[in-house]
Amino acid sequence: MQLAPSDPDILSRRADIVARLRGLVPDGVVADEAGLAAFDGDALTAYRQAALVCVLPKTKEQVSAVLALASETGVPIVPRGAGTSLSGGALPRGDGILLSLTRMNRILDIDYENGWVIAEPGVTNLSITRAVEGRGFYYAPDPSSQIACTIGGNVAENSGGIHCLKYGLTTNNLLGVELALAGGALVRLSQLDGGLDLLGVVAGSEGLLGVVVEATLRILPKPPVTRTLLAAFRSVPAAGQCVAQIIAAGIVPAAMEFLDKRCIAAVEDYCAPGYPRDAEGVLIIDLDGIEADVRDAVARVSDIANAAGAHQLREATDERERARLWAGRKAAFPAMGRLAPDMLCMDGTIPRRALPEVLARMAAMSEAYGLGFCNVFHAGDGNLHPLIIFDVMKEGELARAEEFGAEILRLCVAVGGVLTGEHGVGVEKRDLMPTMFSEADLAQQQRLKCAFDGAGLFNPGKVFPTLSACVERGHMHVKSGRLPFPNLPRF
Amino acid sequence: MIKCTNEADVVEAVRGAREPFEIVGAGTKRGFGRVPRGATLDLAGLSGIVSYEPDEMILTVRPGTKVPEIEAVLAEKNQCLGFDPPDWGPLFGAPANQGTIGGAIAANVAGSAAIRYGRARDHLLGFRAVNGLGEAYKGGGKVVKNVTGFDLSKLMCGSFGTLGPLTELTLRVFPEAPLSAVLAVTEVTAEAGLALLRRVRSSPLEATGLAYMPGEAVAIIRIDGAREPLAEKLVMLRDLLSGHEAYEVGGGDALFRELGGGAPFVDTALDVWRIAVPRAKAVELANEIAASLWYMDRAGGMIWAGTKDIDLHEPAAKHGGHAILLRARDGTRARIAPFAPEPPSRAALTRAVKAAFDPHCLFNPGRMWDGV
Repeated sequence: MQLAPSDPDILSRRADIVARLRGLVPDGVVADEAGLAAFDGDALTAYRQAALVCVLPKTKEQVSAVLALASETGVPIVPRGAGTSLSGGALPRGDGILLSLTRMNRILDIDYENGWVIAEPGVTNLSITRAVEGRGFYYAPDPSSQIACTIGGNVAENSGGIHCLKYGLTTNNLLGVELALAGGALVRLSQLDGGLDLLGVVAGSEGLLGVVVEATLRILPKPPVTRTLLAAFRSVPAAGQCVAQIIAAGIVPAAMEFLDKRCIAAVEDYCAPGYPRDAEGVLIIDLDGIEADVRDAVARVSDIANAAGAHQLREATDERERARLWAGRKAAFPAMGRLAPDMLCMDGTIPRRALPEVLARMAAMSEAYGLGFCNVFHAGDGNLHPLIIFDVMKEGELARAEEFGAEILRLCVAVGGVLTGEHGVGVEKRDLMPTMFSEADLAQQQRLKCAFDGAGLFNPGKVFPTLSACVERGHMHVKSGRLPFPNLPRF
Repeated sequence: MIKCTNEADVVEAVRGAREPFEIVGAGTKRGFGRVPRGATLDLAGLSGIVSYEPDEMILTVRPGTKVPEIEAVLAEKNQCLGFDPPDWGPLFGAPANQGTIGGAIAANVAGSAAIRYGRARDHLLGFRAVNGLGEAYKGGGKVVKNVTGFDLSKLMCGSFGTLGPLTELTLRVFPEAPLSAVLAVTEVTAEAGLALLRRVRSSPLEATGLAYMPGEAVAIIRIDGAREPLAEKLVMLRDLLSGHEAYEVGGGDALFRELGGGAPFVDTALDVWRIAVPRAKAVELANEIAASLWYMDRAGGMIWAGTKDIDLHEPAAKHGGHAILLRARDGTRARIAPFAPEPPSRAALTRAVKAAFDPHCLFNPGRMWDGV
């Protein structure tokens, strides 16, 4: 993937832009080399780029003022939360203002009667739950980076997590936002609105449509009971069969995770969670709810797992064992990270039935590329996370790892799935968009982008392989006055 | 009138357009929104189930497929449409069970179970459509979890056809509740009843129906589950309702279906409003409106109100809510905007989005607002 070259005209105006930003946010401008190095990328660590300047507003009025300045000067804006994006969504541009929202970190309202929390964008995901758990509530989306990642970033990426099969993605738990538009105007979007669902399209828009300055999040009563099962299988199709039958039986587990044998070996070496090493795959299944429902579901899932041929099935008997079972799943990253200096975490979604075929074909690819990998899989919703390990210092390995990853994602699309289930397109999967979308599909999405951001200043270089000028995307006919149906009444 | 039976027909119709279109499925919701104009683009024949994979919980259908037909196919596998699509046909004088899935999506409908499972917008995973340039395109995908590109599916839900005709829809489906039970708390005021419903909503019982009917002074609560768990949950529910007598009522599902479908208004001449409102504000708002016939669903989050020639947009907005005039005579719909006027910055955005899909204003022109 090639980073876009910086616009020399903008670079030549840097001093003026920095000075004007200091006027808007006196205590929140980072412009020195060492300071900018701290913001030079996100969790897609293979790419680094210092921003033109970084600004850290404390209020939405300051965000508006920064966006107005960006519009006036034609300088791109890259919004940033905690910088935990795995797809390079917050990767800075050398000719762009990096708009860090982490200082806007206040919870503004907690309302149990209406079931919401209103938060500024820099509040971390986990602190929403922390703020309400004393009253028995929680915020459902739980991306693995939840201790660090911010709500603004969650909205931009439409973040998921292991519980989204049952409780939905961010978009399903987002009741409203206040959005700063290009030029700085503020607009409120709510699920209660009766107009076009602009809120729905802002969620997951990866910072291309506007900047979230406030979010209203749905909180839910915490399920009182969670029980965890481990089921180990000697064949991947048997594990797949087990998953399909759980779903077909009408059981919606809170989480259902699959780890393949390579991943089992890696985490057993790393932290010994007690997964059977002779298994081709294990399922870790969380069932939550009230005691009676969970008891019923545990019994049914156990029957299904046994019938599907699980050679080991056990339930965590206490909270400590439950934590241990999950420790293995949660250690997949560091466990693989021990085996090589660098790692790519891929994120395709496939129809669940395709799992055995996809795993087999990935094993063949791994041989061909000469790179190790393992698989963790949100089995309930078909979201696959192959972890590819490599060494960026070895000649050509980064390129090989990227090509291996790209081939996996092309396979996901070929079997009826998608390029990304929860990490976003960013820069990482940008050039793969045409494998999933036709030219007409992409053009329609870009027209929507133009409706929000005609000058193309929000996060350029992300999501779309080529972002055409907005006049080429369908507005031209209107603007030039050559209407094809001049006599139509247009109310 | 142009009848379409496949996507190519729709493309051809749009490319050859001589005048704007009114997009019609079964036509059961023609009375919803501003009075439709334009030549009929009839999608009723663009129907049928394209694929249904129960193990994947995914359904792909053409927009003209009737909702009851879909529900029957899903029921064979003990699955259902999670957003509980109500049948609004009778409310508009049409026969029951005629509505299409395309219409349900375009109007972003949802029934009482929306409080647990969300509205249509939470269930549409992907779609195919034709834009105002006569180009067929797709948005979203055919898997439950997908963040690839903009989530255009959300925009299609509740767009009332103004962004263009849908030609294929992919929906997630849900397991059907094995059993459900409905408890009624009688002789309870709106204030006390709504407080009870909110208390249940704040418990982990995951109620799938929480309604209040002032005429009968009754709050009704639906709980789902397998036989034994359900019995235990009903005990927990009664504990939660401490101090209030609660009776199990038969036919509770049918009752919630009626409420979702606006059945109490069918035989009246009232204008019918649906008001989405923060649930803790519901009683205050209902008192202010003082409608001649009303009830609340979703623990107060949805108020149904029957009035005559009164504009409810302002009172709804004052309480943080949003009103839509669901049904009224043509004359009333010309006088009172069915959709609340948007503030200028929002309205500009809405028009820009409309133009991004339909630059020549070919689709359902003016159905929501002037120019949209």
